[in-house]
Amino acid sequence: MKQKKRIHWTRILLAAVIVFFYIPIVYTVVFSFNSSRSLTTFSGFSLRWYEKMFSSSMTMNAIWTTFLVAILATVISTAVGTITVIGLSKCGKPLRRSVNMINDLPIMNPDIVTAIGLLMFFATMEISKGFMTMLLAHIAFCIPYVMLSITPRLRTLDPNLADAALDLGANPWQALWHAIIPQLSPGIFAGALIAFTMSFDDFVISYFVTGNGVQNISILVYTMSKRVNPSINAISTLVIVIITAALLLINLIPILRDRAMNRNKEESV
Amino acid sequence: MKKLIELKNIVKDFDGQRVLNGISLDIYENEFVTLLGPSGCGKTTLLRIIAGFLDADDGQVLFDGQDISGLPPYKREVNTVFQKYALFPHLNVYDNIAFGLNLKKEPKDIIEQKVKRMLRLVGLQGFDKRRITQMSGGQQQRVAIARALVNEPKVLLLDEPLGALDLKLRKEMQREMKNIQQEVGITFIFVTHDQEEALTMSDKIVVMKEGNIEQIGSPVDIYNEPVNRYVANFIGESNIVDGVMPCDNRVIFDGHPFTCVDGGFAKDEEVEVVIRPEDLDIVPPQEGMLRGRVKSVLFKGVHYDTIVETRQGTSITVKMNITEEKPVVNEAAGELMDADSFYLDRDDVAELTDAMIIARSNAQAWTKDTQEGVSITRISYDIRPENGRYPVTFSTAAGTSVTVDMIVEDANRVVSEEYQEEIYAVNFSKSVDDIKESLTLDNDLMIWADASAWSLAPEDDGARIRITDVIYDFDWEHIMPGVYDVTFATKGSEYKVATTDRTEPGDFVGLRFTPDDIHIMRKG
Amino acid sequence: MKRFRSMAYPYVAWIAILIIIPMLLIIAYAFTVEGTAFFQGQFTLANFGRFFSDAVFVQVFIRSLRIAILTTVVCLLLGYPAAYAISRSGAGSTLLILIITLPTWINMLVRTYAWVGILQDNGILNFLLGLLHIGPFQFMYTDFAVVLGMVYNFLPFMILEIHTSLSKMDPSYLEAASDLGANHAKAFWKVTLPLSIPGIISGITLVFLPAVSSFFIPKLLGGGQYVLIGNVIESQFLTSGNWSFGSALSLIMVIIIMLSMYLTRKLDRNREDEL
Repeated sequence: MKQKKRIHWTRILLAAVIVFFYIPIVYTVVFSFNSSRSLTTFSGFSLRWYEKMFSSSMTMNAIWTTFLVAILATVISTAVGTITVIGLSKCGKPLRRSVNMINDLPIMNPDIVTAIGLLMFFATMEISKGFMTMLLAHIAFCIPYVMLSITPRLRTLDPNLADAALDLGANPWQALWHAIIPQLSPGIFAGALIAFTMSFDDFVISYFVTGNGVQNISILVYTMSKRVNPSINAISTLVIVIITAALLLINLIPILRDRAMNRNKEESV
Repeated sequence: MKKLIELKNIVKDFDGQRVLNGISLDIYENEFVTLLGPSGCGKTTLLRIIAGFLDADDGQVLFDGQDISGLPPYKREVNTVFQKYALFPHLNVYDNIAFGLNLKKEPKDIIEQKVKRMLRLVGLQGFDKRRITQMSGGQQQRVAIARALVNEPKVLLLDEPLGALDLKLRKEMQREMKNIQQEVGITFIFVTHDQEEALTMSDKIVVMKEGNIEQIGSPVDIYNEPVNRYVANFIGESNIVDGVMPCDNRVIFDGHPFTCVDGGFAKDEEVEVVIRPEDLDIVPPQEGMLRGRVKSVLFKGVHYDTIVETRQGTSITVKMNITEEKPVVNEAAGELMDADSFYLDRDDVAELTDAMIIARSNAQAWTKDTQEGVSITRISYDIRPENGRYPVTFSTAAGTSVTVDMIVEDANRVVSEEYQEEIYAVNFSKSVDDIKESLTLDNDLMIWADASAWSLAPEDDGARIRITDVIYDFDWEHIMPGVYDVTFATKGSEYKVATTDRTEPGDFVGLRFTPDDIHIMRKG
Repeated sequence: MKRFRSMAYPYVAWIAILIIIPMLLIIAYAFTVEGTAFFQGQFTLANFGRFFSDAVFVQVFIRSLRIAILTTVVCLLLGYPAAYAISRSGAGSTLLILIITLPTWINMLVRTYAWVGILQDNGILNFLLGLLHIGPFQFMYTDFAVVLGMVYNFLPFMILEIHTSLSKMDPSYLEAASDLGANHAKAFWKVTLPLSIPGIISGITLVFLPAVSSFFIPKLLGGGQYVLIGNVIESQFLTSGNWSFGSALSLIMVIIIMLSMYLTRKLDRNREDEL
């Protein structure tokens, strides 16, 4: 197709959109190092908001809670999700379809609806709100996403894979562990990443199901935001750094692995 | 006939890779032209340059004498039938066909008339409202042709349009496509990698290879008088052998002189001789112009593909010493151990490694109860690069040990000046069980004898040549200890014959052909 | 491998407890008399009656829909050209998509809060406008700020959905259009746009759904007085403790969302059938 090299207006708009997406992030990071309370003028570099953040036990508790919940929710939801997807693939179509349909509910429903449902459920069961309820809720909303990212992978799998492993002398659990799980690992990995960031970033559901002073970072920011408070910028920057690092890691690992493999190949040649 | 399209020295590079290497080609009115070649030969690129989807890096495209090189596709009087049709899935059959006419803002009633006429031409009356996704591959194909033809182009470009159809439908569409072309009376430029398709439909075939045109001609010309080995091979299976032309109408190949109808070569010029499998007849040996043994027969439905070998390739015969050795038993350790004596080429002694010794002697140890392998931990031997027998002892950690001989000999090679190749193999010893238990005996014999062959032609740089025949006359299921001959051979002079005569492998037969069955090509 | 089947059963029990029961509770409470637990309370339609008879709630609802529709339209107008530009960038499109997705992984609340600092009366935007001798304006606590916050958060979804449908499109469709006489503009309107409608529809879904139910964006950028349906639901559960009315509101919201999704999809299907 013939196309003249000229800057199309859509490209200018795209550039503007990208700037728009990054302005608040850059702003937050820059002003987290501001020495004054001002949100407008950068009066000098300082780490005072970070000192304030690290000295506040409330903030540190929130960070700890966020991490603990995110890690536990990731591990549990990834394990349960993987096992369920494999199990479901051997189940009849009606069960499989209804599980997938029900899984779609929390994905399709607004967060707030999922949140109030869980809130009423915990209250009705007389489970006291706090860390446990938050963790349970996080696991509950993470599993459907984990399953969603593994299922397509399983579908492309050769259905004879497990049989081949059994034929070669593996017992069913060995077949599962050595033949099926490794094939699913890209999906499992992606699912775990989604689960981690979903849990780490969640505000709406945590906000409704928590209690007894248990807060994650999002809730802390929300409650602090009623007044102008630059230490929020420091906490936000922490979140930005952690998530960016996780994403870079995820994106770099496959590239580095490929490169290492290529190097090995070259050496062996 | 009038020239419609002239391509002048078209050059195209993709990422520094030359795809078209200065193509010049004239295409006339009302011609069915086929661009034929394997994928990557540049045929589709050439088509896309004619259509205007790509610009040539150099050269000109003339249409009716006008240079159209810079013209966008929507201003060219050509239309395309795409490889996977590219029918718009959001439009129905009628709207797909009317797409071009609507853009030209033709009156509704004219559009309707034209679309209906096209539907009739491609045999899809009444399919107007059908959705594209509800149609079969063959039907989509017809819609794609109608959508292009309705714009009354002077040239229709078809990019492997039959590739997605199954064999039966493809044959049917080939016929239909030819009919449509004759009915609308415009030029078709058809791209394909299927030589049969090209031969069936075309008025003119352009055979391409790596961005160059190899040959242009009518199907009959291309089939009967391919200009080189590439075209001959691409256009159908052929027997191609080396020959010499002592004078016009005379060619020597396979050691015999023959009369042919070609000429114009230098005296004693080396040439390649093409004989089509269907031009060869199998006759009794005394009536044949060439004689040979039937090597294989493959039934192809209507005929047999018979391979006749007129001369064997380079061969070498070695001695196979069959023994009745039983494994050594070490009762104390509960271990068994086994190894064979083996022969070595004197030149290989210097490069001998432990791993090679284990492999060649087939030394192995295993436990008596579980049959599990036990590693050989010690190999002791003393060897010099002189002919003779040298004992080698293998032992395991538990003390089980076996001693066999390594027998050093002169290199056993056969050189063929004629074929410019060399073949090598050594004598070997094996037990009765080794032979009986072998699952791929030919292959194992080659490994045991270390048989290999390579080219001596300077340009081949010692490239390996496949050993195609392993010949022996023992009955492997009932073999007894003793010495047997095993012969390894490379491929010799073979002719493929397409015949309805039934022969058995091993039959001695003659081959007959007439002077005009022999096609001479220049080398290179 | 039938024995693996049982591996799915624990989760089947789990979804029954943590997905189905909560959903049923919402429905049950929506029809229960205020202030009583559903199992002891009585069936009533009063919660819905209260919503429809109180002009304030209806207005809040209308405002929520208005803001969500506005957000969706702005996202579509910005998102389509942006996605189009990405899909035309050849090898660079993977990187551009990564650049667009990266911020969405970062906490929405954190990113939204940053706008408070930017949009404040004495914030950085007014400061910059002041340098040009424009303003100052009041951005915070206006529709503008709320729509901006929502567009900011949800625009990536629109871009990604449209980009997916554009990049999946076989380039030979455009070549065919060009071959049949369409110039670039005509090829866009007659082929590219109609073929990307599925992407537009799912983009609209992904923007409209969170926009209509959002409660912290209006709270942060619209202020305490700025109430959308999400804020009402929040206060019913966390302030006034009126589960029944809150559940009824949620149910109405879900029904409206499902209805609008259904209509959009049906519209698309009708369009296809007409052709």
